[in-house]
This record gives sequence, C-alpha cells and structure tokens, in this order.
Amino acid sequence: MSAATIWRCWLALILLLAATTASAFVPLGNFNLPVSLTIAVVKALIVLLFFMELRASRALVRAFAAAGFFWLLIMITLTGADYWHRTDARAPIDQTKPR
Amino acid sequence: MSEATSPRAIGIQYATLAQEREAVTLGMWAFLATEVLFFGALIAAYLNYRVWFGSDFIAAARMTKVVLGTANTAVLLTSSACMAMAVTTFEAGSKRAPVLWLAATALLGLAFVAIKATEWWLEYQERLVPALNFDLSRYGGIAEIFFVFYFCATGLHALHLLIGISLVSWLAIRIGNGSLVPGGSTTRLIGLYWHFVDIVWIFLFPLIYLAGRTT
Repeated sequence: MSAATIWRCWLALILLLAATTASAFVPLGNFNLPVSLTIAVVKALIVLLFFMELRASRALVRAFAAAGFFWLLIMITLTGADYWHRTDARAPIDQTKPR
Repeated sequence: MSEATSPRAIGIQYATLAQEREAVTLGMWAFLATEVLFFGALIAAYLNYRVWFGSDFIAAARMTKVVLGTANTAVLLTSSACMAMAVTTFEAGSKRAPVLWLAATALLGLAFVAIKATEWWLEYQERLVPALNFDLSRYGGIAEIFFVFYFCATGLHALHLLIGISLVSWLAIRIGNGSLVPGGSTTRLIGLYWHFVDIVWIFLFPLIYLAGRTT
C-alpha cells in the first residue's frame, strides 16, 4: 500500500469524523443514531479494506474477517427482535422501568 | 518477498512463505472475530438499554465530554495511519522509517490513554463513577446504567490499547536492533490488532459521545 493511499484514507477518516460530530448537533430526531452508525460503518470499512489490507486479500481471509461481524449482526438482530418489541410480556429487567 | 531474498527461515510446518503468511493471517482474524463478539455483546446491551430507557438513557450520554472524545478519535485514527505507514515501510525493506512510525503510533496511543484518563478524572470529580462515588440522588438510576456501560466499554478498550502500545513498543525495539527482518508476519499481525482496536473505538464513539446532543 502506498503512502499516498494511507494518507488519503486518513484524510477521509478525519473528514468523516468531523461530519459525524457535526451531524450529532443537527436535530434529526430518531435519525441521529442511524446517521452516526452509517458513518461509523463507512469509517470501519476504510480501515478494514485499506489499513487491514482486506482489499488485496484472498476471499478466504475476507470470509474470516466477515464472519465475526456477521455473527454479531445475527446476535443483535435476534436480541432486538425480542427485547425491542416487548409490550405485554416484559423482560425481568424491564419490569422496573419507569413509564 | 521470495524466500530466496529473505534471510528469515519459515516455520517448519509450512511449505512456502505464502502459505505461512496466509495461515497466520487467518489465525489473527479468527482471534479478532472473538474480539468482535466480545465488544459486540457490550454494544448489543447498550442498544437494548437505549431502546428500553429512551430519553433518560440518552440524557446521561450528554454528560460525556464530546470535545475530548472527538479529539481522542482523531488521535486514534491518526495512530492507525502511522501503523499502516510502519507496516508499509517495513515490508519495503526500510530500516529506520518503520521504527519512527511505530514510535509515533505508540506515542499517539499513549496520548489517547492520557486524554481518556483526564475524562475519567473529570467524571470522578462530578461523582459519575458507579460503585465508587456515583451520585444516585442527583443523576438517577438510568444514568448510572449508562455510566456502567461507559466505564466497562472505555475501560476494556483502554486495556486493549495498553496491550497494543506494549506490542508496538516491543516491535519497534526488535526492528531497531535488527532481530526482525521483512518477510515475516509479526509486524503486519500487530498492525491488524492495532487497527481492530481503532475500529472498536469508531463504533463506541457515536454511541457514547454523540447521543442526545440535540435535546
């Protein structure tokens, strides 16, 4: 990887950091979290593809790298599918929640 | 780099240098996958609490120091660029440049920990540390849950960074005294670990510092 590529990535990361911090002060209601997480995913992809060299890696290495994130998404999705949509049957920890 | 031009012997269990490189790279990624799930469980818990407690939870996040947090993110992103420069210059055969880039990486890592410790000190003075001095009557129980997450997540991240700083310092010394030569994977693998710790922070940053800034 060339030095020019590294510092272009660095510039993109710093600009995205400025964008995400600025976006947090713009009232978007429920969209502030998705916007900041989307920018975080783009920043992570820059680090993964360039700094961690996945762009130049074989498919097997990329599959190993993707596996952890894939299982994490399954864990968060299935957890959320239950806990985030409970109304009558509340989780034990949820029963103390003030409404 | 081919075996013929490298003075470094490959592991006895490998037929070629390329095979060794791929095997150790896969091993590192398998370890990093466990780390993704380790920090991922914390983030999943955060998302649950954020959905359950809504505005009260987000209001607690507003008490974090957004200027210090943003500056620290810039420090860590820059350290990753320096780490990438160390790997590139090392594999290109340079002797002095990788040592300097590794020193820059370790110093930026220390700067990150120093800024983080400053935040922790400010939060201690504001009586925001659960189990130590959290002011429950002033901030409420939901804020305490946020700060339990905050100290677990930032503490575990700082621990990972201290391990990274130790590895990078060790690497700089080994390359500096000539006992590590290009062809092996040690530098690249420690680079992968460093960049991974950076990625964890990339996700912790918006969850901790950017929540509730408009309310």
